[in-house]
Amino acid sequence: MGKQMTEILKGTLEGIVLAILAVRSAYGYEITAWLRDQGFADIAEGTVYALLVRVEKRGLVDVEKVPSEKGPPRKVYSLNAHGQEYLDEFRKTWDFLSERLEQLHRGGR
Amino acid sequence: MTMALPKFIETVVGDLGDKRRWRQYKERTKQLPANYRAAIDAVERYLMLFGPGDGDGTVSMLEDLADLFEQSAADGTPIREVVGEDPVEFAEAFLRNYRAGRWINRERERLTDAIDRAAGEDR
Repeated sequence: MGKQMTEILKGTLEGIVLAILAVRSAYGYEITAWLRDQGFADIAEGTVYALLVRVEKRGLVDVEKVPSEKGPPRKVYSLNAHGQEYLDEFRKTWDFLSERLEQLHRGGR
Repeated sequence: MTMALPKFIETVVGDLGDKRRWRQYKERTKQLPANYRAAIDAVERYLMLFGPGDGDGTVSMLEDLADLFEQSAADGTPIREVVGEDPVEFAEAFLRNYRAGRWINRERERLTDAIDRAAGEDR
């Protein structure tokens, strides 16, 4: 993953992860594995974890602790109403950015 | 058994309950496989420089960190995949979840105030 990708992801990974959680609940490892499958090859487990701690603190997700066969209980995250609002807002912002970029690519103003 | 606390920790983690949690955190890191333990110790050192300036905040941050490394060790996630290509990047992303340390907050206020004054927006 290039430096540019890392920089752009900093601002968008939160929206991406919330969009994943809008589809279904998941725990951190599953989210990281899905991202890696989808071409975010070098994404760090810790980066996703830090992000999940953040969205939990901000009340965008609900968390359920589920016992696991090995290791400590896993935290399963699901998007709540507050998180859905935040995700809608993120989508608007994203659409705005991509439309403006598209315009620039077409040479318009 | 009482574990001796480094002087700096003693100052930051003043409260008795926080001290107990600090020792529990240290016990948890001791249970980790050697390479995970070396990694968490290194991240801890960095976080302590910039993290929350109070005992409760500091210990909460470290407990979250221990959760990550315990889970990663249990899953067998390689260290490199846990912290990524740039461990500083990871540590900074992790730090943003917690209040900044006292001296950083003081400096941020100082900068904001100085610019307010310079811009003629003295409050």
